[in-house]
Amino acid sequence: MLKKFLNLLRKFPIILGFIGVVVLFSILTNRFFTLSNFLNVFRQISINAIIAFGMTFVILSGGIDLSVGSVFALAAVVGASIIKGGNVFLGSLAALGVGAAMGAFNGAIIAKLKLQPFIVTLATMAIARSFTQVYTQGRPITGLPSTFREIGRGELFSVPVPIYIMFAVFFISLYILSNTKLGLYTYSIGGNEEATRLSGIKVIRYKVTIYTISGLLSALSALILTARLNSAQPIFGTGYELDAIAAVVLGGTSLSGGKGTIIGTLFGAMVMGVINNGMNLVNVSPFYQQAVKGAVILLAVMAERSE
Amino acid sequence: MDEPGVILKMEGITKKFPGVLALDKVNFSMKKEEIHALVGENGAGKSTLIKILSGVHKPDEGKIFLDGEYVAFSNPIHAIEKGISVIYQELNLVEELSVAENIYLGKENRNWWNLGKKVLIERAEKLLSKLNFPISASEKVKNLNVSEKQLVEIAKAMATNAKVIVMDEPTATITEHEAKQLFSLMRGLKEQGVSIIFISHRLEEVFEIADSVTVLRDGKLISTGKIDQYDKNRLISDVVGRTISDMYPKENTVTDVNAFEVEELSVPGYVNRLSFNVKKGEILGIAGLVGCGKSEVALAIYGGIKAHAKKALLDGERVSLPTRPDISLERGVLLIPEDRKSQGLVLLLSVTKNIVLPNTKFITKLGHIRWKEGRKISGNLVKKLNIKTPTLSQKAENLSGGNQQKVVLAKGLVRKPKLIIFAEPTRGIDVGAKVEVYKLMNELANQGVGIIMISSELPEIVSMSDRVLVMHRGVQKAILEGENINQENIMAAAMGG
Repeated sequence: MLKKFLNLLRKFPIILGFIGVVVLFSILTNRFFTLSNFLNVFRQISINAIIAFGMTFVILSGGIDLSVGSVFALAAVVGASIIKGGNVFLGSLAALGVGAAMGAFNGAIIAKLKLQPFIVTLATMAIARSFTQVYTQGRPITGLPSTFREIGRGELFSVPVPIYIMFAVFFISLYILSNTKLGLYTYSIGGNEEATRLSGIKVIRYKVTIYTISGLLSALSALILTARLNSAQPIFGTGYELDAIAAVVLGGTSLSGGKGTIIGTLFGAMVMGVINNGMNLVNVSPFYQQAVKGAVILLAVMAERSE
Repeated sequence: MDEPGVILKMEGITKKFPGVLALDKVNFSMKKEEIHALVGENGAGKSTLIKILSGVHKPDEGKIFLDGEYVAFSNPIHAIEKGISVIYQELNLVEELSVAENIYLGKENRNWWNLGKKVLIERAEKLLSKLNFPISASEKVKNLNVSEKQLVEIAKAMATNAKVIVMDEPTATITEHEAKQLFSLMRGLKEQGVSIIFISHRLEEVFEIADSVTVLRDGKLISTGKIDQYDKNRLISDVVGRTISDMYPKENTVTDVNAFEVEELSVPGYVNRLSFNVKKGEILGIAGLVGCGKSEVALAIYGGIKAHAKKALLDGERVSLPTRPDISLERGVLLIPEDRKSQGLVLLLSVTKNIVLPNTKFITKLGHIRWKEGRKISGNLVKKLNIKTPTLSQKAENLSGGNQQKVVLAKGLVRKPKLIIFAEPTRGIDVGAKVEVYKLMNELANQGVGIIMISSELPEIVSMSDRVLVMHRGVQKAILEGENINQENIMAAAMGG
């Protein structure tokens, strides 16, 4: 039992990091280690974690998706504008559709034209942000029906709905990566794209799928935040790509592709969330918070390197 | 510790890695101005010994004496300063810089306001002409071919006043002709007082170039001595640990039914209207110098690159040239690609996952992979091909070259093939594994498979092929049969004669 646990730690050193930050903040403040605070932390984490799960697919395949934050915003405002008109289902579907379409567009250009994912998604990041501004004329869309707001605010057995969504996405991603062709090919494309192509795998098609997943999941995350805030704002999602990438990297996934796990990403997102929450509870000035997060990422990468 | 004429002595070198004794009290000694071949199968401990010599690893036990002086290297730079340079198979050059800049990289005598390019080029020209190397100091490295790049690496070593140069399989990726040139330059270096440790899997070369030889097996010193104390059989049995009666077993029977036939196959820029056929049970060798288009022929038949042909027949049926590898796989056409690391394997994935990769459709239902069946398939192939791996979930990168190559073969054997293209099937693998690959080729041929073997190793082309197609600059120069298959005829045609 203990041996199994130690093995798990060796495989996922981020779990040790998670335990570390939890213990640290439990000592620093008695407001941290409570059930209600944990539910709160997890609800906050869900936004980043869901994007980061999609990002994990992309990074495992040897790519990167910088457009997730902007796609998040575009999906949010398109969805919210329709939902505001009364059709919750259609609006949500439209938001997810926008996210998937943007992702597919990224994937198609990257795979078909063999362009650098960094540059392509940097471009679509700007384009999607611009579309968002044009669509909203820079104004937030607020006042959404209560049925929709349940996605962000509702609870089931005293557990917030976003947490269910996050874990659902987590388990589906886990299943896909370990038990499906898509999962195997995601790893193999990231590990060696040429060998994968010569093994008769339609690499272009799978790359498009992978970026579509990333776009789709940022749209899903956008729906949750929109519902929780009862508002979709054109500045939504600014900098979210960095949080997502940080969670993936903290979780031990290699930026060069082919190596990593979705469990690592979950814990990576949890560590980031706990640090955020804990620093607020112990009144660390917001001015310092980014520096602390940056330092944690550096430490994690250095620890991985030294292994 | 002063023995006249001995430049390097390694005594009782032992190195343990977790779970393996990589070197077990190995002694190695070489004389000044000699070319000393270090041979052994993959995993015999050659690389570890070289890494210890060059300061990459520290030995657990043992001592190194260079020119009679006891040395203990703390890092590779230290070893280079003392006069030991290693030229690895993966060359370490900056492609965008000139030959001169590469030779003196980090050693430039310059001020920050004066790059001194002219002086650098002059110095390099002088060095290159002293070494008799036919390359220009001002040329950018990216414009050179592999063998020329090797010369830059050697020049780089010479610029640091290397006493001992280690060459790790320098001939693995160059042509026969270039190898000959390299050897004559190596003899020139020897005359200038340099000692060379030469690592190669090609035993013919060892006899051609080496003065002395040291054989390692399983981390132990097996034998060492002057080359004239060895003959081919002794060297092979020392390397493999048993006698191999036949390096090139050939026991296939050619039928008169065509397995594959192509007319006017062209790959723009590489191959120009090549027509050939291969019979069931036949091994058709395709030979030629690097850049003659033979690698592209392999990819073109398989659908790996854009190509066109007037007509193609597979198993007697008209087929269009495949545009994607999956089309070929469905038809029963397989490619064992020439570079197993960049084309054949996903090194980060396990043995099972690599074997399953092109064969997922056999174990997948609605996208769900039944890994239990995948492990059964890979387990059987691992047993059949005698792949040495501790477990099926071992990552491919941890296997030796020969076993990696067998995993590449295994990927293809899940299906029932009609035509297999073996591109450089034994490049960089040891003698024992080579023989196993040849036996597998025979076995497949006798099952009625047509085999195309594309290779730069003339001995295997000569010994294993039923017919040999020789290419030169994208066109067919000769088709040799029977008695006419010999190294001279092949080289003559390959050079364009």
